[in-house]
Amino acid sequence: MATPASSGLKFLSNALATPEQLSNSSSAIDGVAPDLEASIRFAGALLTQAAGVLLRLSQDIIAQAIVTFTRFWIGSEGGSLRIYNVKDVSAAALYLTAKLSFQPTSPRSVLNVYGFLLSKEASPLWCINPTPVRATDPPPNPESYVLTEGQYQAQRLVLMRTEAIILRTLGFNTHVALPHTVSLTYLQTLGVTAPGVAKRVFGHLNSALLSPQLLCVTHQPNALAVAAIYLAAREEGVKLVDSEWWEVFDVDREELGFLVVGMRSMEGFAQAEFDKWKGRSVPMTVEEVESEIERRGTEGE
Amino acid sequence: MSSKSRWANDDDPETEAILAQRKREKEEKRRAKAEKQRQLEEQQKQKQQQQQQQQQQQQADSQAQSQAPIPADTDAPPPSKRRRLSNDHDQAEQSPQPSKSTSNNSSTTEGNNLLTLPTSEWGPCRHVDNFERLNHIEEGSYGFVSRAKDITTGEIVALKKLKLEPTSPEGFPVTGLREIQTLFEARHQNIIELREVVMGTKMDEVYLVMPFLEHDLKTLLDEMREPFLPSETKTLLLQIISGLDFLHGQWIMHRDLKTSNLLMNNRGEIKIADFGMARYFGDPPPPKLTQLVVTLWYRSPELLLGADKYGPEIDMWSIGCIFGELLGKEPLLQGKNEVDQVSKIFALTGPPTTQTWPDFRSLPNAKSLRLPSSSSSSSSSLGGANPPLLPRGKFPYLTNEGLRLLSSLLALNPSSRPTAKQCLAHPYFREDPRPKPKEMFPTFPSKAGQEKRRRRETPEAPKRGQEAPKLDFASVFGGAQAGGDSAEAGAGFTLRLG
Repeated sequence: MATPASSGLKFLSNALATPEQLSNSSSAIDGVAPDLEASIRFAGALLTQAAGVLLRLSQDIIAQAIVTFTRFWIGSEGGSLRIYNVKDVSAAALYLTAKLSFQPTSPRSVLNVYGFLLSKEASPLWCINPTPVRATDPPPNPESYVLTEGQYQAQRLVLMRTEAIILRTLGFNTHVALPHTVSLTYLQTLGVTAPGVAKRVFGHLNSALLSPQLLCVTHQPNALAVAAIYLAAREEGVKLVDSEWWEVFDVDREELGFLVVGMRSMEGFAQAEFDKWKGRSVPMTVEEVESEIERRGTEGE
Repeated sequence: MSSKSRWANDDDPETEAILAQRKREKEEKRRAKAEKQRQLEEQQKQKQQQQQQQQQQQQADSQAQSQAPIPADTDAPPPSKRRRLSNDHDQAEQSPQPSKSTSNNSSTTEGNNLLTLPTSEWGPCRHVDNFERLNHIEEGSYGFVSRAKDITTGEIVALKKLKLEPTSPEGFPVTGLREIQTLFEARHQNIIELREVVMGTKMDEVYLVMPFLEHDLKTLLDEMREPFLPSETKTLLLQIISGLDFLHGQWIMHRDLKTSNLLMNNRGEIKIADFGMARYFGDPPPPKLTQLVVTLWYRSPELLLGADKYGPEIDMWSIGCIFGELLGKEPLLQGKNEVDQVSKIFALTGPPTTQTWPDFRSLPNAKSLRLPSSSSSSSSSLGGANPPLLPRGKFPYLTNEGLRLLSSLLALNPSSRPTAKQCLAHPYFREDPRPKPKEMFPTFPSKAGQEKRRRRETPEAPKRGQEAPKLDFASVFGGAQAGGDSAEAGAGFTLRLG
């Protein structure tokens, strides 16, 4: 379907979710409320990001892993939160992405990091440990997060199986093009030299990965990059050229507007999630999802 | 952990029943939803038709404005607002017009031309039972290939089963993943098209679905009594190199180019296949690349000498070997092992000198290599061409330009080899006889079509994970004499022991 002019641009573009896939998620069909699904997906993406940082993976690998993670749950043929553990899918997406990159990592490293991040006592993540460890507190007991050899072996098998399930669900489509690199090229083209803007652009692009509007699986990298630049330049008070420069990068005003609104809403969304789950942890396993659904059911009565 | 996986083999019947039940319910809900959607669409369609009728009376440009946001999205990324979903959907169905090429002259009024990035979709793998297996084609080091028929479309395809070890410590093998990823991305008329990946009932049954091609170049050359004509050789080579140029442009190294991995159909079209060794590279190249790549006879000297930093130049060497094979119908450099391969190479090209390949001494396996002392003086007698021309006597029917191209491809020093792009612009392809049009190619009976093939004598591609052998090249020049055929090919240097 690509035109001759764009056929060479495949590596700059992504497979996008179809309208059909966006209107039906497997979890929704299984009776998971949309807001709960959004919360869990957000927390899962946060978990993936944190694990990637602890594994010292570069941000491009982490970002690709989050996109793969997000794609997995989309559509009626995607994964359901009542069948697959979010934490397993997050770990497998990260492991799989790193394996294909120039920076592969070992199953043991991945599982050690997840053991730590998922520990209800030691985790620094608010969505897992509602009372985060502060610098002044005594360090958490290592026994609360170090895996035994038996646990490691069992979880390694789960990791491998989840990896295969992700591959099957996505039809082995593991290609993810990121907006980060094109955004730098665009900034240069626009003659923006302020380092603050570039930093802000990357900030917006990285938070867009966590967006409840699934910006990164519904829009092509060039549009995401343009929107992030538009927003960052505004916030930093840097004036861009006086014309419809986004069209140079093949983005129309409507798409730009939508993306800018979506990106600007991220901060509020994250804060709202944080407040909503205050004192509780976001479900990361099928069992926790079940008990959350049950809890909501009894509350509603 | 929760063994509720839909595909887990060890589920007890009870959970399976629950899962099946759940799946049924899901299906029903989906159908209900789809039905609702369809009705909605129909309503909308009617509405739109009315609209269109009204608008037809108006002027064309005012129509474009009033309908603005809708046609913009037909080819663009799916819309982000749900309430517009159905609308867009049926627009896409309604207007399959040439809008694609001009596409996307969206809401803005000037009728600007925005480029639409190629968009694809993803969905779960289909089951391999959608194909009926007809006959076995071959078994490579990476899997079985069989000819099969798509049951729904009746189309004949090649099904390649990936070899997966169920208990692999790394999970899904990275070579298989790379093969799939690179093939999915490499859409080019001279690269085999990966249609889809299908799976069996078990997680370790993975098949690649590709179009079936009648021949591979290796078998074809074996069957032919005379080599291809010069004009045909040029057509074949141009196609191979333009496929490779595309791959290198996408930052993909093939790493196993050889005639048996080049498939050909009866329309003279050639396609690069078997991406089992392919991977992405970068600039600078990624660290710790395995040196155990490329089938021995097509392996470049820097790999044989143990380089773990290398680039697309290794593919260009293989192209040189393939070029030589197309000319002579026989593989050009048939070494029995790594040491013999190096000695065969040096017998053809002459040994490396500090002028032709300044860095070769720093390669791990070059330490044990003892070169004849006279080598530097003998190579300078070749007219100072860099890289030196190959001995003319070996390729009697090749033109001067052809010999120049071949010699540059088979340059010992990787940085002297031309890139694929440079090759395409080489005068060899523009001098007479011109490349023969693909349509004029002769056809050949297909071996892969029915008959089982005889086993090849080509050495296998190296297995991943094997230890790279510590090679002792002390015997390279001693061994060559025993080989016999190298004496006549010696490029003007004498072989001396010690």
